[in-house]
Amino acid sequence: MKDLWAGGPPRGDAPPSSGVARQGTRGEGQQGTVLVVDDDTSILDTVTSILSGEGFDVVSASSGQEALDAVARKLPLLILLDMRMPVMDGWAVARALRGKGIRVPIIVMTAAESARRWADEVGAEGYLAKPFGLDELLATVERFRGTGGRAN
Amino acid sequence: MLRSVSYWLGRSIESPALNALDLISAVTQLIYVLIFISVALGAVRQPTRAHSDMALFFGAVAFLILASRVAALVGTPPPWLTTVEIAVLMALPYVLLRLVDDFTHVRSAIKRVAELGLAAGIVATYATAPALPTPVILYVVLYFFAVSIYCASAFIRSARRSRGVTRRRMEAISLGSILLGTDILIAGLTPLAGPDDRAVLQALGQLLGLGSGVAYYLGFAPPAILRRAWQEPELRAFLARAASLPRLPATLDIVRELERGAANSTGTTARIGLWQDDNSKLRFWGDDDTTTDLEPGKHFAGRAFELQRPIFSTDPIRDNPDGAMDYRSRNVGAVLAAPITAGERRLGVLTLSAERPPIFAGSDIELASLLADQAAVILESRALIDHAARVRAREEATRLKEDFLSAAAHDLKTPLTTVVAQAEFLERRATREPSAPADLAGIRRVVRESKRLAGLVGDLLDATRLEQGRLVGEREPVDIATLAQEVCSHDTSDLTLCEVEASAPVVGVYDRRRVEQLLQNLVENARKYSPEQTPITIKVWQEDGEARVSVEDFGIGIPAADLPRIFERFSRASNVDDRRFHGMGLGLFICRGIVEEHGGRIWVESEVGKGSTFHVALPIADGRRLN
Repeated sequence: MKDLWAGGPPRGDAPPSSGVARQGTRGEGQQGTVLVVDDDTSILDTVTSILSGEGFDVVSASSGQEALDAVARKLPLLILLDMRMPVMDGWAVARALRGKGIRVPIIVMTAAESARRWADEVGAEGYLAKPFGLDELLATVERFRGTGGRAN
Repeated sequence: MLRSVSYWLGRSIESPALNALDLISAVTQLIYVLIFISVALGAVRQPTRAHSDMALFFGAVAFLILASRVAALVGTPPPWLTTVEIAVLMALPYVLLRLVDDFTHVRSAIKRVAELGLAAGIVATYATAPALPTPVILYVVLYFFAVSIYCASAFIRSARRSRGVTRRRMEAISLGSILLGTDILIAGLTPLAGPDDRAVLQALGQLLGLGSGVAYYLGFAPPAILRRAWQEPELRAFLARAASLPRLPATLDIVRELERGAANSTGTTARIGLWQDDNSKLRFWGDDDTTTDLEPGKHFAGRAFELQRPIFSTDPIRDNPDGAMDYRSRNVGAVLAAPITAGERRLGVLTLSAERPPIFAGSDIELASLLADQAAVILESRALIDHAARVRAREEATRLKEDFLSAAAHDLKTPLTTVVAQAEFLERRATREPSAPADLAGIRRVVRESKRLAGLVGDLLDATRLEQGRLVGEREPVDIATLAQEVCSHDTSDLTLCEVEASAPVVGVYDRRRVEQLLQNLVENARKYSPEQTPITIKVWQEDGEARVSVEDFGIGIPAADLPRIFERFSRASNVDDRRFHGMGLGLFICRGIVEEHGGRIWVESEVGKGSTFHVALPIADGRRLN
């Protein structure tokens, strides 16, 4: 399952280093919130329960609007973003965040073949190609743990 | 005496002074001689009976003109010349009658009467020569007039039946014959008139002679520019329709239209044979949609196709004895075949057949070749349109397949994500903390998504089975009303209202599992595209020996443009946001397969924004036995 991730290296060369993103961290060594966005409730529940089980602080959103609301309430460390969603899709969410000057790292989650291209389109840090396994999910999120939002 | 009868031919003899009348006379004579030269050349090029008769007629006229010139030069012509002149002059109307017979039927009774009249005239002339009493002159003049007018009327009748250049030329010839007959009549009567009237009649006679000369010239030897101008209206009418021909639904329709156009333009029967690559033959279509295949090289059509040039026959029975029976039964007296060829591509052949040989073979061959060229352009553009459509259909099929693969992959990966990640997490939990209570919610997710996967895989398999026509399996008596009730109650949840309206059981012999799947698909579809809390109604009843089901919703509806394709594979209505509504577009395709394999029908009524009603009609007893 590891090889799936190999296609989408972290975009470490362009770390989100704005003050806004740093504000989202709770300090050195502390885990920030992971925001999971997916309109498929099974995936949403699964990813949420896995990440909480692994000790992450997780917020879930089942639509683009819910995701923006959650970001407005509390800036997350990382956003796992589904691309194909009704009404407001992944692209619209990414655009809205950029529009507000919020540069939280995004990991695109998609079942589409064009996952890598879509990740580039929204300036994401990487992608998780569905179906992804437990190890990939955790490894991806781990890279952002305690980095203040910076991928290593 | 003879001079007065042949006056129209040799007027300058009696009045040597060059005046206006003499000039007209000279021009008239010149025209007749020119016509003779032209038709004589034509007869040498194409020695048909019509051509030789034309040459004979104008040869006789030219001879009379030359003879009168010679007579004028020598003063008193030798008696033998006069005798020959009389014979030739008397024979003129009869030759004209023969000419008429060449392209339209002259009843044999009329021919006999004309022959008797000719014989009587010759006998009377020779018996009374050189005095020629008035009754004899009158007889000869009237005979000449009557035959000319008969010929003119026959030419007019023939002109009405023909088209294009031929028609125009026939009209000119009939006018020429009328003028000629009248001129002879006037010339014959001139000596009988008083001196004052004589001058007037002479002038009138000169003008009529010129008129007949010009009319004959236009009819028998029209210049190319005039021929083209006469062809134009027919070609224009043909071309006006030609532009729309390549878009007719079938090639056969185009062939029929081309045949009709060619027949109208030429006044003949037209047939088009198209080259068939698969059996290397020319295919002709009969009126009753039967086809006849012809080998290249056989008959006129095959020969024209093989030689790639027009072939013309005025005696098809002699030139092609193999087709004699057909020519006799269809009363064909002339055949013209022209190849239909676009550049290097030999597409077929155009065959024109007529009862009588067209008298103006040159013009007709020219017109037929033009029509054949036009047919080639039309058929070639049709071929290009067909080719483009095939390419488009192939591209569309490829695109649909790619869309399908991508949609199928997407739809399978979504539940798979939960199954894989959740199952791995359950395993890790169980390994890490064996004593911890089971994560029921996680287990349920795995179960639910596994079932969803199974359903999707089932749809894919069903679509494959459907394509092989083996979707429906064992049949048994099924009450659709009860089945609908089961499907409905299964589907009813907090979010949907599903109702069944059925007053009595409707029992038929069906594959229970498939009919249930059909109802489930229709209800799921209705629910998927309807707002929450709006009702879905299933009605079940019996009508005209059929079990009828309707599933009505108040959802987003289907745009009219999408309705024809809604039951096709991978088809989705254009107002369905595929980011919102997942699906492979197989549901209705499978529904149609189930219904059609049961021998039934499925259709839909829909209005965008109002909702859709899907209708199903299944035969109650389709004659099949219970398995």
